Amino acid sequence: MPREIITIQVGQCGNQIGMEFWKQLCLEHGIGKDGLLEDFATQGGDRKDVFFYQADDQHYIPRAILVDLEPRVINGIQNSEYRNLYNHENIFVSEHGGGAGNNWASGYHQGEQVVDDIMDMVDREADGSDSLEGFVLCHSIAGGTGSGMGSYLLETLNDRYSKKLVQTYSVFPNQMETSDVVVQPYNSLLTLKRLTLNADCVVVLDNTALNRIAVERLHLSNPTFAQTNSLVSTVMSASTTTLRYPGYMNNDLVGLLASLIPTPRCHFLMTGYTPLTVERQVNMIRKTTVLDVMRRLLQTKNIMVSSYARTKEASQAKYISILNIIQGDVDPTQVHESLQRIRERKLVNFIEWGPASIQVALSRKSPYIQTMHRVSGLMLANHTSIRHLFSKCLGQYEKLRKKQAFLDNYRKFPMFADNDLSEFDESREIIESLVDEYKACESPDYIKWGMEEQGEASVAAALDSKLVV
Amino acid sequence: MDDPKTLDLVKELVLRLLTPVDSPFSSAADELPRALRFAHRLLSSRMAPSLAPDELAMAESIKRQLAACGRSSDALAFADLHTKLSARSSAPGAVRNRWALLYLLKSLSDARRREPLLSSPARIGLPALPLDPQASHQPPLTAKKTLPSSGGVILVSKDPENIREIALREYADLVMDETEVSESALVRDILFVCQGIDGRYVRFDITSDCYGLPESLKLPRSTRTMVRKLCELGWLFRKVRGYITESMSSFPAEEVGTIGQAFCSALQDELSDYYKLLAVLESHSSNPIPTPGSISGVQGNYLSLRRLAVWLAEPMVRMRLMAVLVDGCRALRGGAMAGAIHGRAHHGDPLVQEFMGRLLRRVCSPLFEMVRSWVLEGELEDMFAEFFIQSQSVKAESLWREGYQIQSAMLPSFISPALAQRILRTGKSINFLRVCCEDSGWAAAAAEAAAHVGTTTRRGGIVYGETDALEALVVEAAKRIDRHLMDVIHKRYRFKDHCLAIKRYLLLGQGDFVQYLMDIVGPELSEPANTISSFQLAGLLETAIRASNAQYDDHDILDRLKVKMMEHNDGDRGWDVFSLEYDARVPLDTVFTASIMKKYLRIFNFLWKLKRVEHALIGVWKMMKPNSIISCIFTKEGASVKTQFVSVLRRCQVLWNEMNHFVTNFQYYIMFEVLEVSWARFSEEMDAAKDLDDLLAAHDKYLNSIVEKSLLGERSQAIIRILFILFDLILRLRCHAERWFERIFELQLRGTNKSRTKTKEPGSWLDGGRKALMQHAREFLRQMGEDLDKIAKEYSSSLDSFISQLPVQQHVDLKFLLFRLDFTEYYSRLSPSS
Repeated sequence: MPREIITIQVGQCGNQIGMEFWKQLCLEHGIGKDGLLEDFATQGGDRKDVFFYQADDQHYIPRAILVDLEPRVINGIQNSEYRNLYNHENIFVSEHGGGAGNNWASGYHQGEQVVDDIMDMVDREADGSDSLEGFVLCHSIAGGTGSGMGSYLLETLNDRYSKKLVQTYSVFPNQMETSDVVVQPYNSLLTLKRLTLNADCVVVLDNTALNRIAVERLHLSNPTFAQTNSLVSTVMSASTTTLRYPGYMNNDLVGLLASLIPTPRCHFLMTGYTPLTVERQVNMIRKTTVLDVMRRLLQTKNIMVSSYARTKEASQAKYISILNIIQGDVDPTQVHESLQRIRERKLVNFIEWGPASIQVALSRKSPYIQTMHRVSGLMLANHTSIRHLFSKCLGQYEKLRKKQAFLDNYRKFPMFADNDLSEFDESREIIESLVDEYKACESPDYIKWGMEEQGEASVAAALDSKLVV
Repeated sequence: MDDPKTLDLVKELVLRLLTPVDSPFSSAADELPRALRFAHRLLSSRMAPSLAPDELAMAESIKRQLAACGRSSDALAFADLHTKLSARSSAPGAVRNRWALLYLLKSLSDARRREPLLSSPARIGLPALPLDPQASHQPPLTAKKTLPSSGGVILVSKDPENIREIALREYADLVMDETEVSESALVRDILFVCQGIDGRYVRFDITSDCYGLPESLKLPRSTRTMVRKLCELGWLFRKVRGYITESMSSFPAEEVGTIGQAFCSALQDELSDYYKLLAVLESHSSNPIPTPGSISGVQGNYLSLRRLAVWLAEPMVRMRLMAVLVDGCRALRGGAMAGAIHGRAHHGDPLVQEFMGRLLRRVCSPLFEMVRSWVLEGELEDMFAEFFIQSQSVKAESLWREGYQIQSAMLPSFISPALAQRILRTGKSINFLRVCCEDSGWAAAAAEAAAHVGTTTRRGGIVYGETDALEALVVEAAKRIDRHLMDVIHKRYRFKDHCLAIKRYLLLGQGDFVQYLMDIVGPELSEPANTISSFQLAGLLETAIRASNAQYDDHDILDRLKVKMMEHNDGDRGWDVFSLEYDARVPLDTVFTASIMKKYLRIFNFLWKLKRVEHALIGVWKMMKPNSIISCIFTKEGASVKTQFVSVLRRCQVLWNEMNHFVTNFQYYIMFEVLEVSWARFSEEMDAAKDLDDLLAAHDKYLNSIVEKSLLGERSQAIIRILFILFDLILRLRCHAERWFERIFELQLRGTNKSRTKTKEPGSWLDGGRKALMQHAREFLRQMGEDLDKIAKEYSSSLDSFISQLPVQQHVDLKFLLFRLDFTEYYSRLSPSS
């Protein structure tokens, strides 16, 4: 059973989207709510063992670890019809059940204390797999548990499994509404530092954009969490199709990510999905072709990250890489035509410091799910405009920091004890340099970026570097 | 004649004849004695008509005559009466001389028709008795009897005073003087000669290769000529018989064959007819019948030389034909012989046509039997290599392609090449089904086809001359057999499944399997080729199958997948010799022959190499992946080293990106533009294929298109060489990177240790302290930068030449590849001049 991926879902949001994800996977693989294979699911061709393993009684168990500091969501899962799906040994709820109080520091600190229990689960799962590919972490960056404890887990995983991949699905908070979590800028910043340093790939799921898509594209006046989460699960399952339905290319996570992330720092991916539908909504059926799907995927309105860029900046934004995963009944010859059209129309701006292209992966569709559309597509893109999202986070942090607001909550914990707020500053510095690097990627001289202020040696190195291109 | 009763009867008859004639100028009594004398003379005459006394022929002639006059009912009545007469032949008192009777009746009828208006007493049909011999000008027709009943009697004058008679006698005397040999002796000789035996006078002269009379023999020139002409038949006969004996005696030999045998037997039959005729003639010759000249002393024979010439005219024509055929076919065998004979069958003369038709039906019957058993049973019953389809003993896998071929020399001209092709294919299909597929369903298909056209599957169903029927049968059989064959190939031998399996395993379509295999055999393959055990690799292959989705594949398919180690030279690594093989087995090895599999092998090796390069690149990425420790190395200290490091690292990343872009897009090209597109076309053609040849052609096209487009073709050698240089550079980067990053980790570890341990343990390997470490790092990074630049330089120049070569590849369309590689026009911007 090669290339296993262990999913760790942390916190309220992480468990919610995680649950949706597993629901979706079960549907696609024809696995019943109790983990048993449905009678109709005999057609094979799919690889269930990447995300599941089989118990002695042949029922499929997700390679998932459910972690939360408060029992509400996990209890919900344990009382749902999927309760028998998960391995109960893999569920961790803190004993006191008090949560992290939306405090990153509390989550981080509690993580430190329970890490042994959780790492036990991780080790057990890792030992149970033949050639572990990596971990997927589902969490939000705004709250307490997902952000704080998630951060701690990221550091631990990075330390303990440095050769393995760590991918996260990170939900960014809704910036449009006033959040009930007033300290979310602090939480986000601190988490972002870990996402930058300790994760290999971050799939950014921007709640703002998800809401916008739900309202604008799906015409839901007041989208519920369940509805936005179903968008997330769609994206998550679609981004793993090439792993689950093996083909000529993109059969492992590392191969998938390597092409998307040529420069290690810039590993924040945007997603787009089309055509989008929500359950029980069948009135919006379009004609889908490959070109149509690929073109829609490039439209900002379908992208699940908000664009905060001003017009001028937006026009400078460039794609570092694009991978389109097209699912469904596709004639391979159409792919080339579509690519040609896209180039003719100059629909994409790519980086200028190296070659790039739109990669297209064709993947099978699950035979067990009837969809209205013949073709659907997911875009995973590494786009420099994501820096505006980080800038926004930085801006909000600065505002709050200037006021010195709510810092007491953090000072209670060891990391910030003695009024040592250097962690904030360091995080800010790292995010800033991340933003700068993304910005540098927009220029053709990316390769020289960061050398100018240094001495002669670096100038020489910079000159040398021309030869590389 | 001396019988008084007969005399009285004759007298009575003459009286009767005379009385009704109411002649004013003569009385019956006066004329009676003369008439009586005449009658006596007539009766004692021994003159015979110049016809063979054949009763049936005579009866037939009468019937025909009646029918010709439009009196068919009379003809029937005559036939009836004649039968009755013949039936009584054995009864006592029956008419013994029936032929004479019939002849008389016919003569009478003829005479009456000839002189219907004569105003003599003959107007009632009875000729006047020529009382005055001088006045007799009756035609010298002969009659044996005169009967008083109805019908005229033609009087032949037998008058010694007749001038003609005298002349004849004189001539006969003259002839007798000149002739040493009697004609009858010559006739007998000729008859002998006609059977190929030397006569008493006429002998075969070997030197001049002909029959001839000795010069010494005194004979009139006309007779000589006549004899010579007749002897031709003997010569021809000798030739034909010679051929037959020669062939028959050497029969079970290859140069004769069954068709030659059939030809001989047909000739033999013709000859036996000829023998019959000779026997009749011989009996005639020994049955001398007086000729007009007999009385005058020339002892004639019924069968004169001239008669013989007439008799032998028709056999001569046939014999000539046969001799010509014998000559024409002497060097030929089998179908060629049939063709040669057929070539002479187009003749205007119905006699010849009929003769040739008969002969050809006989000659071709073995040939058509072969066609039949081939087309309907797929069996080549051709012991002597006479058939126009020839078998070669080959391995089962090439049975279809090379096992049977058309031997155009043996193709008779009455079978068109197109038809021959179809015949070949039909039989081949059955043969293939029988031999390779062990299928028996073809019999039903063949029977069905035969039933459809209305022939039988039994022997002798088809004969010469029914080419249309043959064609219809072949077409129908071909259609059904081919359909059946396609059915068997697709359903029983699951052709498409195997093609898909090959696509999945040999063309690396089953990604998870390939990846796992790459993972586990990778370390093994880095060893020198001669140290690698293929058993171990087979074990690893098995593991890879079990670990991937391939495990759900059919066992029949998985069993066929094998590891194959190619020939290796010194210094080869496992990578160079490892490949996978698919054992197609009979009958599919007809499609997947050894040479085809060799092509697959080359494609596999290429794709495998591509995968290996991709794998290597991914390995490099993993070393410098985002959350790797190195990304935050030296963050706190040594700004200049940090910058140097970041610079080198970034250059490494940019180079990696370029390489990865190339490899990834090359793979996309292979997948979309080569494998999938070719497969889609092949799949279509596969479904449309009506017979095995179509299928083979479609498969060849599929494979060749992959080979060409993957730059593995003959004409792509230049560009593929550059491609391999690029691949080698990438692998080199991987090797370097492994070393670099090992060092970097080490340095990083030292750095952190240094900063953590601060001043503890100053005497350890950190002796040089921070400054020395930095110096060390700087030196190392410089070295790394140099290596990197070298690779980058080589890489970019190779890539340049690769890209510049892409558009000039005339034979294969690589614009898709170029389009992908230069999607953002990065390369065209970089070197706008070229």
